[in-house]
Amino acid sequence: MRRLIRQTLTIARRDFLATVFTPTFLLFLFAPLVFMSFGVIGGAGAANFTESGGEKLRLVALVDAQEGAGLVAADTRLRALFRSPEAPPALMVMTPGPEPEAQARALLTQSSGRSTAVLYGPLEQPRILYLEVAQRHADYLAQLAEEALREARAGGPTPLSRPEFRSVAQAGATALGEDQTAFFAVMGLFMVTLMLAGQAVGTMAEERSNKVIEILAAAVPLETVFLGKLIGMFGVAVLFLFFWGGVVINLGNNLPAEMATALSGLGPATGSAFPFLFFGYFAMAYMLLGSVFLAVGAQASSQREIPMLSLPITLFQFAMLALALSGAAHPGSALALAAELFPFSSPFAMAARAASEPDIWPHLAALGWQSLWVAITLSLGASWFRRGVLQSAGPGLRLPWRRRTR
Amino acid sequence: MTQSGYEQPPAIRATALVKRFGGRRVVDGIDILVPAGTIYGVLGPNGAGKTTTLRMLLGIVEPDEGERTVLGTRHPRHASDRIGYLPEERGLYPNMKAQDAIAFMGALRGLPWRTGRARARELMAEAGLGYATHDKIRKLSKGMAQLVQLLGSIVHRPELIVLDEPFSGLDPVNQERLERLVLAERDRGATILFSTHVMAHAERLCERLAIVAGGTVRFEGTVNDARALLPAAVRYTPRNAIDGLAAVLPPDAHRDGEGWRFGLPEAGIEPLLTRLIEGGHGIAGLSIERPGLHDAFVKIVGASAASEVPS
Repeated sequence: MRRLIRQTLTIARRDFLATVFTPTFLLFLFAPLVFMSFGVIGGAGAANFTESGGEKLRLVALVDAQEGAGLVAADTRLRALFRSPEAPPALMVMTPGPEPEAQARALLTQSSGRSTAVLYGPLEQPRILYLEVAQRHADYLAQLAEEALREARAGGPTPLSRPEFRSVAQAGATALGEDQTAFFAVMGLFMVTLMLAGQAVGTMAEERSNKVIEILAAAVPLETVFLGKLIGMFGVAVLFLFFWGGVVINLGNNLPAEMATALSGLGPATGSAFPFLFFGYFAMAYMLLGSVFLAVGAQASSQREIPMLSLPITLFQFAMLALALSGAAHPGSALALAAELFPFSSPFAMAARAASEPDIWPHLAALGWQSLWVAITLSLGASWFRRGVLQSAGPGLRLPWRRRTR
Repeated sequence: MTQSGYEQPPAIRATALVKRFGGRRVVDGIDILVPAGTIYGVLGPNGAGKTTTLRMLLGIVEPDEGERTVLGTRHPRHASDRIGYLPEERGLYPNMKAQDAIAFMGALRGLPWRTGRARARELMAEAGLGYATHDKIRKLSKGMAQLVQLLGSIVHRPELIVLDEPFSGLDPVNQERLERLVLAERDRGATILFSTHVMAHAERLCERLAIVAGGTVRFEGTVNDARALLPAAVRYTPRNAIDGLAAVLPPDAHRDGEGWRFGLPEAGIEPLLTRLIEGGHGIAGLSIERPGLHDAFVKIVGASAASEVPS
């Protein structure tokens, strides 16, 4: 056994170093930065577009100056309750003409205008015309009229109630927070596995193209070659995960107070054991899907075949995500149990369970179960390679009823 | 004495090995017995089944039938740390430094990295490649890379070294280096099994050999045993051109340039020489030539198969 471990680590070490000490590894490591840069640029552009569009929109009140002042005062108070992307368009007060309804229709329908809702008539019984897509803007104008009228009747802006605010610290994660954490755990695990496990698909192609496979196959069992290569690539994935995990943790510590408060409701049911379980399930998800990628990629006779071979596995990964998410949405159901038991969806489903249920023992059993399937998948992959590529079936695999002839 | 006729148990004993690819029996019942501490050659034309046989002996390919015992075990992989192997298709990681490539191959066979690197430097220096220790494989010439790979197969000081067509693709200087390396390993006590279809190397190196053709062993023995399958040839040039010479010479004599060539008579050459001198033909030239391995190979394998083989 020590010999096999030593041989496995020799191959893993070679693959790890050969991957990490190359300029292309930096490209791989910083690939998310490129992805995020495009995201930020795209997001900023979209926000800019939305904001500039929003600035041009307006609500119009066709009322006299006195009523208009009341509406503006009410608008100022209510607008403070909205976050900027959700705030209604700016309010504009205009003097009503002799035909206010026609004036309102003209404001809404003229092509140069950006009015979405127009109020006219007395505040006791205001009439509001609005575009079909702007029901909420019409509701807002109605609320402004109500507020302005109440204020006028109360004799000024003196508040009738005097609230006293006291904040209370949240005691741990809420049930909703645990469910959200479960969702994030599945998605996070899926994303990192999707990005990283696919790397294993081309690793055997290197050995096949430069003929090193013959040397490896003569020196060590193929299962050891497969496991060594998988561990080597897993090392690369862990390096990637630690790097970006460190970045995310540092960013998390410097979040704006508002955002930190919003995230404080999130939390796993398994508490401090969750990071370890998440890492364990990442390892299993990587090993399981990586071994499938490795086994399939090893059959490729050229680099050109690799993308075609990896596409079905990627689709399979998406199917596993769907199964795990469905299970996470219905904890305790037969679907959830199936997702937890099926080897290739099990890491995702169990990561979700780690977020939503506090028991630890099912995770130990699950990690053992998944490890067994890693061994089975690797063994089948090596056997497939031995038969298909090395053409070394041996007598043990021959069908017993086939007669041996000389 | 053991069954093999040597003091130690054989390094390899294979019995009735069979391998089929797609229904074709590429190895069809091969028996091989390689005495420990010897240089053993497997000779044969292209497609004879040499490489498949070696791969079965190493456990890369499992035989469909037959048995093999390598270094005392029926599972060659269990003894892989005691075996060195140079495959026919050379393979190295192009971005590895030469010394690391050698150390890596040693590490696969149980040699610690540090020891492997140190031995790699020694071996490269001995092979005249000391200047290329830190060069990446992709910068080496084909011959140098091939030598590096050979050094990788012996860096862990194996008891058995299997070399598949080790001389192919090497220039004469590197072939000479490789022969010296093989002999040095034999002197160290290793058993060397190599395949080739170049007779000259086999003739110079092998203590025993098997000639394989069509997936079967057609001959097994020493080089001298193989040569002994053909009689020695006599080349004779008369001093005087007198009629009736053909009647004096053996029946198989035929013209060969200005002289004659024929097989060495069973009674020896002396009675014939007496007749030639008494008949007045005289002797301008006379040589007795022992047949080469190439001639024996042609006889054993058949002219059609041997026509592909360089001598």
